[in-house]
Amino acid sequence: MKFFAFHLMPWDRLPADFAERYDSAWTTIPNSLYDPLHGGKLYNDYLDQLVLADQLGFDGVCVNEHHQNAYGTMPSPNLMASILARQTKRVKIAVVGNALPFYNPPTRVAEEFAMLDCISGGRLIAGLVVGGGPEYFSFSLNPTHARSMYREAFDLVLRCWTEEGPFEHYGQHWKLRYVNPWPRPVQQPHPPIWIPGAGSRETIQFVAERRYAYMGIPYFHLDFFQRNFDMFRDACEKNGYTADPEQLGWLLPIYVAETDAQAWEEYEEHLWYFVRNLLKGLVIFPPGYTSARSIAGIQRGLQQFMTVCQTRDDIERGGYAIVGSPETVREKLQTYIHQLGVGNLLGLFQLGTLPHELACKNMSLFAEQVMPKLRAIGQI
Amino acid sequence: MPAKPQHRFLHVGGKKTQLMTLGEGPPLVYLHSAGGETEPIPFMEKLAEQYTVYVPAHPGFALSEGLNDILDIHDMAWHYVDLFAELQLSGVPVIGYSLGAWIAVELAILRPELISRLGMIAAAGLYVEGAPMGELFIDDFNKLRELIFFDPESPPALQTTPRNPDDSQMLMWLRAREATARVGWNPYLHDPKLPRHLHRVTQPTTLVWGRHDKMIPLPHGEYYAQQLPNATLEILEECGHGVPWEKCDETAALLMK
Repeated sequence: MKFFAFHLMPWDRLPADFAERYDSAWTTIPNSLYDPLHGGKLYNDYLDQLVLADQLGFDGVCVNEHHQNAYGTMPSPNLMASILARQTKRVKIAVVGNALPFYNPPTRVAEEFAMLDCISGGRLIAGLVVGGGPEYFSFSLNPTHARSMYREAFDLVLRCWTEEGPFEHYGQHWKLRYVNPWPRPVQQPHPPIWIPGAGSRETIQFVAERRYAYMGIPYFHLDFFQRNFDMFRDACEKNGYTADPEQLGWLLPIYVAETDAQAWEEYEEHLWYFVRNLLKGLVIFPPGYTSARSIAGIQRGLQQFMTVCQTRDDIERGGYAIVGSPETVREKLQTYIHQLGVGNLLGLFQLGTLPHELACKNMSLFAEQVMPKLRAIGQI
Repeated sequence: MPAKPQHRFLHVGGKKTQLMTLGEGPPLVYLHSAGGETEPIPFMEKLAEQYTVYVPAHPGFALSEGLNDILDIHDMAWHYVDLFAELQLSGVPVIGYSLGAWIAVELAILRPELISRLGMIAAAGLYVEGAPMGELFIDDFNKLRELIFFDPESPPALQTTPRNPDDSQMLMWLRAREATARVGWNPYLHDPKLPRHLHRVTQPTTLVWGRHDKMIPLPHGEYYAQQLPNATLEILEECGHGVPWEKCDETAALLMK
């Protein structure tokens, strides 16, 4: 069992009446709401939290990419990862990921990831992603080309890492006469690859076939994860092997405090800020982003998305977030990890407006009182 | 009595294409909007009182295929060059609505001889400074009805959008959105080169616009009217972007006179 601290780097100062006054925390949210001085403080707090994860014995830290939004103020995860490559000593650094269609040409991803792998001494996990729905609005990039751009860019990045340059590339979306990226990654033949998905069959088959790792897109009901992870294991069997639990990752908000009551007392308002403000207006699937049939299916899945939660009970029953004393959190995680069969737990230990001190306390309690026991169970 | 529609499939440049025909008389081609109206609506039936109305579904809409070969609006216009050839149509009236009107004017530039006169209803295709188009690619059907219709609670407004994710229209709706996005995502529902070509469109052209169109505001109609050499602009009061539904008889009368 591997434990990762995942950070979104959210904006924590939306106005109290945000949900009534604004349509969305994405794409069109006025950037006059962003205060750069406070932003600087947040970045530094958030980086400190990830450095703390290294000191506390987490296996890895995760950063990801979002643009023009309050949900995750990290348009360049590679900048953050490069700081972490220097300031951490031990943890894996998972960039989950770079949204390939937005890097032009996508050989930039091969270059920057190789830089991170060199600086960190081979600690990079390379997340190669299609990019979120809102990014296709924010970049005005045509989502009906998302899949074919992704596939072309993915193969090109892999070739960059595994073939000797220079070589030529003539694809549908990019025409490159000299592909010869310097530097090359430390890890050979290339850093481990993680690919997130929300249950599209095409993605699951692709990841299973190539034996990469599949990360479930968060904020869904446990049943939704279960279906997708089962589908992934089936796909691996069809490819002639049994999935390693480390090929599966489960991402979710976690909060630990001294007692159950105290945990909810400290956490609840920050969780609702996240659900009601930061998830507001999230367009998960713009037109053509995946097949119409998949979108129709996933739209039904959205009836199990966290934004439908109204009460603490809804959150607890769906396993949308795990909140409580160390014992409660350990017991629940033990049950769910076993049910889902995942080998990577990706915890969001800071969420919404959760203050720095509470995020650090949360991580410390988790590392000291939850993680060791879960590790022990994992080894039996 | 409404005319009985005939449905068939054509192969147009290798693309399976759904075609409906309606009514009797000389041919008239109707090019549908992003909403994908490819089944008879009262407006088409009105036209069918005097014409054989051809209603092809654009690639990627309804049961038409071939979206992989369409990368922009010009590919779409070339598809219609092929379709007119397949149907041996030339010198016929063409009426387009919204996305369809944009395709019609692009076709008129490529092959003027195919079109005798143009009816352009609430046409896409232009970027007009100070008159931004509405955001069509949203998931909220209530907002979408407000954007398109003068009266978002009217029966046609409610009938033309799916009501829930399990609605049987949903799959066709998602296909329509994908095909629209393919040609209209960026640049957003316009062709930056179009204004420089409009002087070539010399056919008699009738532009019909709703005074209260929030999707493609009236200044777009005024710009077309200025730039097209032989065009008149007809403005309908108490009417939004849903012109064929909201002002069915008036629009048909303006375009058939």
